[in-house]
Amino acid sequence: MNYPVWYLPTIGGAFFIALIAITHVFVSHFAVGGGLYLIFAERLGLRRNSQAILDFTKKHAKFFILITLVFGSMTGVGIWFIIALASAGGTSLLIHNFVFGWAIEWVFFVVEIVAAFVYFYTFGKMKPSTHQAVGWVYFGAAWASLFIINGILSFMLTPGAWLESGNFWIGFFNPTFWPSLFFRTFIATMLAGVYAFLTCSFLRDGELKKTMTRFSGWWVLVSFLASIPFGYWYLNVLPEPARDLVAGKSPTIQTALDYGLYAIGLVFVLSLVLTLIRPALNVKPVAFLIMMGAFVFLGAFEWSREAARRPFVINQVMYSNGLMPVDVEKANAVGFLQSAKWTSIREVTPENLQQAGAEIFQHQCYACHTVNGWNNDIVPLTESMSYRAMVSYIQTIHEKRYFMPPFAGTDAEAQALAAYLVGGLHGKEIVMAAPVAESAVARGALVFEESCSACHGYDAIAPSMAGWNADRIREALDNLSQLNEMMEDFSGTTAEKEALTQYLLTGGEVATDGAVLFEENCSMCHGLAEIRPGMVGWDRAKIRQSLDNLSAINQMMEDYDGTPSEKDALADYLAAAVAGGDQ
Amino acid sequence: MSDMIPTPDTIPVSWGFLQFLLLLTFPLHIILMNAMLGSAIIALYARFRSGELWTRLSEDLAKALPLIVAFTINFGVAPLLFVQVLYGQFIYTSSILMGVFWLSIILLLIVAYYCTYLFDFKFAALGQAGKWIIGLAVVIFLGIAFLFSNNMTLMLRPGEWSLYWQNSGGTILNLGDVTLWPRYLHFIVGGTAVGGLAVALIGKFKAKRDPELAELAVTVGMRVFTVLTFVQIAIGFWFLLALDKPVMMMFMGENMLATVLLLAGIMLAIGVLWAASKKKVYLAAAHVIALLYVMTFMRAFVRAGYLQEVYTLDMLQVIPQYSPMIVFFVVLVAGLATVVWLVRQAVEAA
Repeated sequence: MNYPVWYLPTIGGAFFIALIAITHVFVSHFAVGGGLYLIFAERLGLRRNSQAILDFTKKHAKFFILITLVFGSMTGVGIWFIIALASAGGTSLLIHNFVFGWAIEWVFFVVEIVAAFVYFYTFGKMKPSTHQAVGWVYFGAAWASLFIINGILSFMLTPGAWLESGNFWIGFFNPTFWPSLFFRTFIATMLAGVYAFLTCSFLRDGELKKTMTRFSGWWVLVSFLASIPFGYWYLNVLPEPARDLVAGKSPTIQTALDYGLYAIGLVFVLSLVLTLIRPALNVKPVAFLIMMGAFVFLGAFEWSREAARRPFVINQVMYSNGLMPVDVEKANAVGFLQSAKWTSIREVTPENLQQAGAEIFQHQCYACHTVNGWNNDIVPLTESMSYRAMVSYIQTIHEKRYFMPPFAGTDAEAQALAAYLVGGLHGKEIVMAAPVAESAVARGALVFEESCSACHGYDAIAPSMAGWNADRIREALDNLSQLNEMMEDFSGTTAEKEALTQYLLTGGEVATDGAVLFEENCSMCHGLAEIRPGMVGWDRAKIRQSLDNLSAINQMMEDYDGTPSEKDALADYLAAAVAGGDQ
Repeated sequence: MSDMIPTPDTIPVSWGFLQFLLLLTFPLHIILMNAMLGSAIIALYARFRSGELWTRLSEDLAKALPLIVAFTINFGVAPLLFVQVLYGQFIYTSSILMGVFWLSIILLLIVAYYCTYLFDFKFAALGQAGKWIIGLAVVIFLGIAFLFSNNMTLMLRPGEWSLYWQNSGGTILNLGDVTLWPRYLHFIVGGTAVGGLAVALIGKFKAKRDPELAELAVTVGMRVFTVLTFVQIAIGFWFLLALDKPVMMMFMGENMLATVLLLAGIMLAIGVLWAASKKKVYLAAAHVIALLYVMTFMRAFVRAGYLQEVYTLDMLQVIPQYSPMIVFFVVLVAGLATVVWLVRQAVEAA
């Protein structure tokens, strides 16, 4: 709201962030671990007095320079560019709070570049011990860069006691700092081996290929095993909501982790084969496959880490859409459009409803959702919702799904957003009324709402109706003025009178239309068609029982918390649907 | 207009420190950028000339270019950091308005950077095709400079930001700004001039091993430098006159320091031309470094002048935390010492 939104509805800024960041981390971790690998590979060559190993190391150093210095540094700057474009508020906060952290990182970056050039251009021309020392300087500077960036990245996930003190060092050495640092260090040395497989796969000399593939394989295997306890430690220091998200509450993390596990399994098994069984198998496609596996693994890890702090971009400080909790409060009080700097509409009117909603969407939803794009597209996600259900969902969105930020704004603004989503994107009608009620009771509830609720609710009249049967109620409706002279006799149609009678008889349990309940409670995540295949063969009893145990079916769901009669109605509706009835 | 300017975040130290660091590091970036632009253009030109000596000049520059590119980028990081701390609310906004172009810089730079490596590592194999490779790098460098000029002027024009209501897709350029072209030309003509001087310096370093090549490099470099510096002075005046009047008047006596800087700049430019006419490469280089610092300070006045109605640096709220800055200075000194050691080892090995 403080900054304009760079609006590319079908692509989304988040896509560019993911693309640039994941390719960057894949190279930048190599830039750290690969430096250490060069030192040890060179040392191996020196100890064995093997020119072939030294030549290999030099060749690998060239590959290393071309990948890390060009692609690595440019994508690093690229992350900085794209986060400032897609999330200017969050970037500004990190830059201002950690300006000297970044400045220190820049110094290490300078040393890193100078050392890398000196190492590469003097290979074979410098006294070996000095050359090794230059290698160590490179590795020291590269690891120090990781040290700094790790402090800021882990701060975003777990700001810890910084929230109270605002102290730089407390924020920097936050609860996930150390596990994350060691985890990343071992990932870096693992990637050193993975990249070296690729250089090895180009070798023609069979003996050398065998030696260096084995050597590289140990880097992968040992590093991977060493990273496991730190990964475990990492998970254990995560705060409650983040751990829940990683443990299954978030659908995207779940998918990412599945891919990540398969990928690292592949890397491990192939590395095991190359190291212990057949180094000669290290041909280009195999090396490339391992590399892809490592890429997917690292991508899955970074994605999960980013997603685990949802709904925040900086945990507890700023939501993913750039709003801070204090901004949300202000927007709820005076209106989002009023309090934002970059909206052209200041107030919702019946004429600008959808346009205002579109602006609110850009500021509050577009940070994560595209429109007709393929990255978390809002259109299919909202397909089965009515305007009425959407308004109610928006107003309780953070409570219903923790990983979504709360809506910031007035009721009118929530309605504008719903109008844009339901009317603008799906072309559905924007009406507040419930769908045409199926049962007499539900129709009666509508009649009650229109004719009676302006003066009294059901609870107010229930005591005086105790023990009444249908006939007594009908009679009373015809003679309301006699019950209380402020009332007029009921003048609706016979059908309406009958429906109202049924409603009053059931004791005011109104919203027991299963279709309505489904729409209000389920449709934001899935339509009927999506869940029906999984419920084939279920009888009503099983459906009814499962509503109490939804979290056991899928961790992303909450157990349904409706009243007993609502559960019954929803079970009836679903049972009929499974039997092939209602769509 | 001012209600569209985002609220800035707080800063941890007094703004003076950050401004000092900005003005200290930005000229270093500019010096390297100039060397990069000038040597790429001269390497390209040399590839068009026939003769083995010209080929050798081009090849020599090809060897230097990947390093110069790396350090240009590296030394751009620090000033970009400090300008975001001091002027974030302006530069983030203008960057978003031209988001597509701004982000494209990353992709363009990767391509240009690889071009310089290709031109170096495959110089002989590429032969005349190398022209196209280094030519592409030059075109990209000039394009990136244009995008930078757009952003650096758009950030100073909050009045133009309402263009966003017609275009939120990030494809706005600041083409309507009368200072855009003189500013851009001021950077690339001046940059190429100084780049010529850098080529002469590279030649000087080679004087013992290859006197013939050194002679050519110095001759070509200094000629480019001298001719373009004359052009540059003319563009400088155009730029000065194109500035909004209140900003221009700062340099015409209304602000004492700004006026002194302008006069110092003119005198240094004369000194530079005199040194160049005598083919005193090192003296000219010393003058140029001083001149670039003076022009950077003038640039800071221009920036402050354009924004003074809506923003001055003392409006930033300070929540003091000095210890990270102290650690930074310690790391900086240790880092520089390490760099000196590294370079010494490299020189000894060579």
